[in-house]
Amino acid sequence: MTVIPLQKKLNYLRWVALATVFSMLLLIPFLYLYQTFVAAHAYDYLSSYEKLVYKFGEFVSSPFTSDPKEALDALKGTTWIGRLFGLDLADPLAAVANTAASKRFYWPLWTMALIPIGLTLVFGRFFCGWLCPATFIYELNDNMGAWLRKLGVPVSRRRLNRSMKYFVLAVGIAWSVLMGVTVFSWIYPPLLIGRELNYAITLGGFGAGMVFFVLTLLFDLLVARRGFCRYLCPGGALYSLLGHFRLLRVQRKAEICNDCAKCNAVCQFGLSPLTDRFTQECNNCTACIQVCPTDALSFALRIQDQPYQGPGHLGRHYARHRHDGEVPEDGKTAQLAASTGSGRI
Amino acid sequence: MERRAWLRQMLGYAVLAALSSLPFGIGRLLVTSRQEQRHAQKLRLPGAPKDKRKFAAACIGCGLCAQVCPPKAIVFSKSDDGAWQQLPYIDPQQTGCILCGKCMEVCPTEALTVTPLRKIDMGRAKITRNVCYPWVDRGICGACVSICPLGDSAIGFKQGNIYRPYVKAGCVGCGLCVEVCPHPYKPIRIIEREVTGVKNGATNAG
Repeated sequence: MTVIPLQKKLNYLRWVALATVFSMLLLIPFLYLYQTFVAAHAYDYLSSYEKLVYKFGEFVSSPFTSDPKEALDALKGTTWIGRLFGLDLADPLAAVANTAASKRFYWPLWTMALIPIGLTLVFGRFFCGWLCPATFIYELNDNMGAWLRKLGVPVSRRRLNRSMKYFVLAVGIAWSVLMGVTVFSWIYPPLLIGRELNYAITLGGFGAGMVFFVLTLLFDLLVARRGFCRYLCPGGALYSLLGHFRLLRVQRKAEICNDCAKCNAVCQFGLSPLTDRFTQECNNCTACIQVCPTDALSFALRIQDQPYQGPGHLGRHYARHRHDGEVPEDGKTAQLAASTGSGRI
Repeated sequence: MERRAWLRQMLGYAVLAALSSLPFGIGRLLVTSRQEQRHAQKLRLPGAPKDKRKFAAACIGCGLCAQVCPPKAIVFSKSDDGAWQQLPYIDPQQTGCILCGKCMEVCPTEALTVTPLRKIDMGRAKITRNVCYPWVDRGICGACVSICPLGDSAIGFKQGNIYRPYVKAGCVGCGLCVEVCPHPYKPIRIIEREVTGVKNGATNAG
């Protein structure tokens, strides 16, 4: 096999990462509540629900720290701005939006965004596929859309113009400059998820952001598949631009591709691995690597996509149009065809 | 089999409708005992610039300040305030600021800058003397004086009438006195500093 089997498992690992980030966003507000209860020295005055929260926080934090009131400050925030065990991280969009709104270059925020920017330059739009808490919900929503389709509800899968999200990014920055307010903090779904969960758990009740988020869910369900991420998300636009020359990208090996087009069907971003068009939109989610029956897709270190390599050599299309002598049928390809044709899917 | 397909479709629509009401349901379940006041007084946070426009320009709505506040004093304009929604504020009638300074340290932007304790300017307390219990001879109180974190420099008793409180120039407007005031109409409240033009020492206005 040319492909390391580990790459086939990466999609499961991605789900673990998404679920971890999402559960952290749930955990952090509860730990904050526990901190406030500890700071108030008021266990006896808590309600029964609050006592449950207290015991949960004690259970979670007691193996790691004896001073929860101060030590739990090392774990704060959301994916927008977060403090992960003392390491401050910021979304690159936060730095851009803050610079636009306040019209000043505030360097501490940019230093916090430095690590995410570096990772995005190497891995491209990986945040969208691997970390974003909204993606976690959007993918579940997408699965539910497929289920609803089976039930007979007309779930639309329209295709819109991808450059719309760059327009949203540009308009958002322009509005931030004109109004002097961080416009993205109303519409950026991962921020909304983190903040609204925090509101709901610590302060009680959701805010206006949740209404917008439900609208995006309905947009995904009723207009376009993963429509917000594909066509409207300003953060996705910024990462796409940063990841244009990303180093790590999924590539197709035409020699062992059999044109089954499962990769095109599974790609939630509507890209076309079959015709080598991953483009800057690919978020390295590895769903296509997992689904490929001949293991023709794998990660490669390149700074640009390969040009279209023609139809897969194991497919019917290639055999029909092959001229004698131009692409010889060597023993290696035949062997691969024999080994991958059986036993998988 | 037309009817079965129709029933399945209706089931699908019912699932859609149920799911769209989910956030509201979760929101109701998670509401704590804290009641949201519709006409809450909105104090700026310690370390925030006086100009609200400047604050709104710098704040990116991450909510970190509220996640470190020990008394849960920092709350947000969750759905009101128009373009300034998602900005944090302190409602002293619910919970006052204890001036611990954690929010100033954690803020990743210029919205909150680390300020020395006595340089903080959130406003200034003002006592309405024809309502306050000791000032109208309805008993003795002194709750505001005993809670004040800045002590004698911010609030004290009028000489000769030791239970009648008055505000001094050192007050930074943290709002703890408003929180503890036992009077239902809260004769002590936080106002902007310029409004009364506080001079050094005692004034009649406070």
